[in-house]
Amino acid sequence: MAIKRLDRTARQIVYAVQEYSLFAWRALTNLYRPPIYWSEFLMQADIIGVGSLSIVILSGISTGGVLALQSAATLSAFGATAVTGQFVSLTMIRELGPVLTGIMVSGRNASSMASELGSMVVTEQIDAMRALGVDPMRKLVTPRIFSSIAMLFFLTIVSDACGIFGGGLVTVLMNHQNGTQYFSMAWEHLRFPDIVQGLVKPLFFGYILGSIGCYYGMNTTGGTQGVGRSTIQAVVTASVLIIFVDFLITQILLTLFSGWM
Amino acid sequence: MDVSSTFSQAALPSPDLPGSGPVVAFHNVTIAFEGPPVLENITFSVAPVETRILLGPAGVGKSVLLKLIIGLLRPDAGSVTLFGQDISSMPEEKLFPLRARTGMIFQEGALFDSLSVRDNVAYQLIQQGKVTDADIDARVREALRFVGLEETFSLFPDSLSGGMRRRVAIARGLINDPELLLYDSPTGGLDPVTSTNIIELIVKQRDVNRTPSLMVTHRLQDAFALCTHHYDTECGCMVPLANGEVDPNTTFLMLNEGRLIFDGTLHQLLHSEDPFVREFLQ
Repeated sequence: MAIKRLDRTARQIVYAVQEYSLFAWRALTNLYRPPIYWSEFLMQADIIGVGSLSIVILSGISTGGVLALQSAATLSAFGATAVTGQFVSLTMIRELGPVLTGIMVSGRNASSMASELGSMVVTEQIDAMRALGVDPMRKLVTPRIFSSIAMLFFLTIVSDACGIFGGGLVTVLMNHQNGTQYFSMAWEHLRFPDIVQGLVKPLFFGYILGSIGCYYGMNTTGGTQGVGRSTIQAVVTASVLIIFVDFLITQILLTLFSGWM
Repeated sequence: MDVSSTFSQAALPSPDLPGSGPVVAFHNVTIAFEGPPVLENITFSVAPVETRILLGPAGVGKSVLLKLIIGLLRPDAGSVTLFGQDISSMPEEKLFPLRARTGMIFQEGALFDSLSVRDNVAYQLIQQGKVTDADIDARVREALRFVGLEETFSLFPDSLSGGMRRRVAIARGLINDPELLLYDSPTGGLDPVTSTNIIELIVKQRDVNRTPSLMVTHRLQDAFALCTHHYDTECGCMVPLANGEVDPNTTFLMLNEGRLIFDGTLHQLLHSEDPFVREFLQ
C-alpha cells in the first residue's frame, strides 16, 4: 500500500515537472511568433514594476542598513570598519539585492498571477477566451512572464542602489563614520563579475516567478478553495526555487569568473 | 399530460439540405477523467440550419460534449468534425480560427469581469484588430439591442443580474456572425420570465439568422418552447406555431449515464419507449 502511494506520488511529481517544463517552454517560444500582445506587456510591466517599487525600495534600504549595522559591529573588532562600504555593496549587488527582490516580488506578483488566472479558470473565463479564438497562453501568460523578467532586472538595480544608500545612512548617522569613505569603498571595489552576477540572477528569478505564478493559476482546480491553494503553492514554490537556483547560478558564475576574482 | 398528440410537423425545409455536410459530427466519441467514461461512443451530427436540443440530467456530461465540439476538450477515442475538419487531434493554434467561427454561451456567462460590457461583447473584434473603434461601437450596440440590453453598454459585469449576464453572453456570442451557436444551459437557475426572454432570443436567432445551434438544457419547458414557437418579425416576439405544429429543424438528443439514448424529433421523443426517456418526460 505504502509503495503504491509512493509510486503514485513519484508519478505525480514527474508529471508536474513535465507539464511545467512544457508550459514554460511554450510561453517562452510564443515571443517569436505573432500575435504578440504588446499592450498586455506594458500593462503587466506597470503592475509588476511600478506596483512593486515601494516594497523594493523599503526592503532595500532596510537590508542595506542592517548589513551596515551588523558588519560595523563585527569589523570594528578587527579595526576594519573602513571596508563597511565594500561589504555592503558587494553583498547587496551579488546576493541580497537579486534574491530579496525576487522573493519580495514573487510574494506580491506570483500570488497575484496565480489568484487572478485561477479565478479566471474556475469561472470559465479562460475557456471563454479560447472559445472566442484567443490563445490565453499568448494573451495572459507570455506577457506576464516577460514583464516579470524585464521588471525584476530594473527592480534589482533599484534595490541594490537603495541598499547601498541605506547602508550609507546607517554608517554616517548611527555609526558616525565618514560617508565619503563609505561610498568610495562601495564603488572602488566593485568588479565586472560582481555586476554580471547581480544582473544575470534577476533574469532567471523573473522567469521563475512569472512562469510559476502563471502555471499554478492556469492549472487551478476545485473552485475558490482551489484558487487559494494555487496562490499558496505559487508563492512557496517560486520562493524556494529562487533560493535554489540562486545557489546554482552563483556556483556557475563563480566558476566562470574564477580568473577575474 | 399526453402532449404527444398535440404536435405535428410544420411544413418547413428539412435540415439535411442536399450537398451540404454537417456542421458538427461526432463519431464514436469517448472521453473519461480519472474514472469511468463521462461520455461513451457518442455519435450524432448537427446539419446546417438545424437546432439540436441536448437533454439529460445534471452531471451527465452535457457541458463536456459542448466543449468537445470546439476542441476545448479532446476525446480519448473517436472523432469530432467541425465545419468538415477533424479536430480530434488538431493543434491548438489551428483550432483558434475554427473557434472564431462559432459562438459559445457558457453556463454562467463567463464574462470577463475586468472588462466593460462593451469590451466583453466586442472582445473578438478587438482581438482581430481589423475593425475601427466606431464600427466596433456600432456593432456592439446592435448586438446589445438584439438582446434588449443597449443601456448596459458602459457597465461592468458585476453590476448586472444573472439574466442580464446571460444575455450579454449571447450578444458576445453573436457579434461575429457565427456559423454555429452553442448554448450551455442558458436558462439554468433563472426565473421563468428571464428564462422565457432568453428562449425568445434563441428562437429569434434561429428563425432570423438561420444559424445552426446546439442547446444544452435539462428544462423540458424551454426545450418544448423552442420546438413549438417561431419568431414573428412583425410583432417582434415569439409566438406559438399554428395548429400545434413543431419546427422540423429543431430536434432532440438525450444523454444518460454517458451514452446517447435518444436522437430524433419531438414527435419521436414523446413516443419513445425508452424507460429513462419516459421517466425524464414525466
